[in-house]
Amino acid sequence: MVRLYTEDLQISYDDRLIVKGLSVQIPDQKVTAIIGANGCGKSTFLKAVTRLIPHQAGKVVLDGGNIAKQNTKKLAQKMAILPQTQEAASGLTVGELVSYGRFPYQNAMGRLTTHDTEVIDWALEVTNTSEYKYRQVDALSGGQRQRVWIAMALAQETDIIFLDEPTTYLDMAHQLEVLELLQKLNIEQQRTIVMVLHDLNQAARFADFIVAMKDGEIIRAGICEEVIQPDILRQVFRIDAEIGIDPRTGKPLCITYDLHKGDNRK
Amino acid sequence: MILPATRKKQRLLAGCLTVLILLLTTVAMGLGYASIEWNRIIPTLLGQGTFKEEFVLFSIRLPRIIITLLAGAALALSGAILQGITRNDLADPGIIGINSGAGVAIAIFFLFFPIEAGSFSFFLPLAGFAGAIVTSVLIYLFAYSRKSGLQPMRLVLVGIGFSMALSGIMVVITSSAKREKVDFISRWIAGNIWGTDWPYIWALLPWLLILIPFALYKTYRLDLLGLNESISTGVGVSVERERLILLLIAVALAASAVSVTGGIAFIGLMAPHIAKSLVGPRHRLNLPIAILIGSFLLLLADTLGRNILEPDGIPAGIIVSLIGAPYFCYLLLKK
Repeated sequence: MVRLYTEDLQISYDDRLIVKGLSVQIPDQKVTAIIGANGCGKSTFLKAVTRLIPHQAGKVVLDGGNIAKQNTKKLAQKMAILPQTQEAASGLTVGELVSYGRFPYQNAMGRLTTHDTEVIDWALEVTNTSEYKYRQVDALSGGQRQRVWIAMALAQETDIIFLDEPTTYLDMAHQLEVLELLQKLNIEQQRTIVMVLHDLNQAARFADFIVAMKDGEIIRAGICEEVIQPDILRQVFRIDAEIGIDPRTGKPLCITYDLHKGDNRK
Repeated sequence: MILPATRKKQRLLAGCLTVLILLLTTVAMGLGYASIEWNRIIPTLLGQGTFKEEFVLFSIRLPRIIITLLAGAALALSGAILQGITRNDLADPGIIGINSGAGVAIAIFFLFFPIEAGSFSFFLPLAGFAGAIVTSVLIYLFAYSRKSGLQPMRLVLVGIGFSMALSGIMVVITSSAKREKVDFISRWIAGNIWGTDWPYIWALLPWLLILIPFALYKTYRLDLLGLNESISTGVGVSVERERLILLLIAVALAASAVSVTGGIAFIGLMAPHIAKSLVGPRHRLNLPIAILIGSFLLLLADTLGRNILEPDGIPAGIIVSLIGAPYFCYLLLKK
């Protein structure tokens, strides 16, 4: 039995149904990528699974209990979430921001224990941000800031980490850096990673398990060889893709693609 | 992770402000319609003054100074909390309808409830307090949506709407009333610190003794509420619950202050803002500073107002507004 799964999950904004009866099991200690076109409900799904927004029907089960009924602080010890847009944290230092990740373990006054400081330093170190510890978050570049936010999520010391498009606004090298960091966390520390990704090839390369969504429903969920296929990509993204094999990683690779012409309801 | 230099600066500032407040208090004790010689203040405090000196100091000046200090602190803390939970630097207790709610209640009570003079002055702050609480509860209910919970921006908008509507009601109520009665109400609205006797201090002090430590205990959560809602929920803050608790603290503080002092605006806006620009956004550091600044500003305004235009003086609320309005414009322009 997996630790985290959803059953018939329905989420709507106002009266519009965004996610329609979604059931999926998130494999433990694996990297899962959620892919899909803009507006397919993938971010909404991620937010509902991490209790950032409520769901209207169905359930999200973590360790046998519905997350809607669990204590939010206890949940924060089990899963961390890096939302898509982070507003600037005006006037805070990097160290302070990362220390907020320790909130689930702290008493009300927020005093840091030695263990807390160790974890914070570790989080800064693995994300390569130790040197910014006393710098203002606002003064960092986009890539540096993204790594700081990841450090904050890591400081929560959770088995499961959710990330909503962690590579947006980053250049190619920084994108790889972030993804490799997540891969490392998965391999070395067996953390379960669940992320929404825009880039198909990044999903294929870094994810063990891919969930392809369209219009609030799952088109296909499985290992990447099962999902990165021309007919599925046609349904999900309405593109006509040429799939090859990445000579370096041996994973499926979308070499080139065109807009799919013809009946797109197929 | 807070830089030691910032901590040190905060302590230094807190020390300076305390000294300033003590100095100002001494000045305020001496100044007034019946002045006390400076060198007589300490002997009088120690119980060696003449009957007149003791009367002026203990029955007139000291209670007023203490009320002013307490109210300033309460308003500043209330404003700081509101700015924190709404994530809006322009928030002020007036925005959640405290002043207008208390004002309407006081006006209604004053005009329509015939009560003899003795007990009257004790029921008046109660009426004001009740009015403020009822108004803020109504604002909360209107701003609350079952789907998205309490959205700070909505709270601010509904609050402004309510304030305006209540001001309108106030005009309607007072337009048909007798001249002398309207005079009292308009001076109350202007914030003339009317409750200047020891019992009012005993009415205000317990709120502060309970709520200031409680607010300081909540500073860490207040910091986290300043982040994006997704982030604060993600690290395990019960955003809705904390917002509500903090809102209640802010309402109780402001309502208890305003019901004794009359409608004073801008202290809750200025004090936290100045504190933030001095020691940064961490509430653990800036709340104590905001409290001290609030006390200082209100005492300064009242002392000035009392002595500019004798014998009645200019209400402290007006002096505060004279400083506050330009400051508010400056904030808007800077944005």
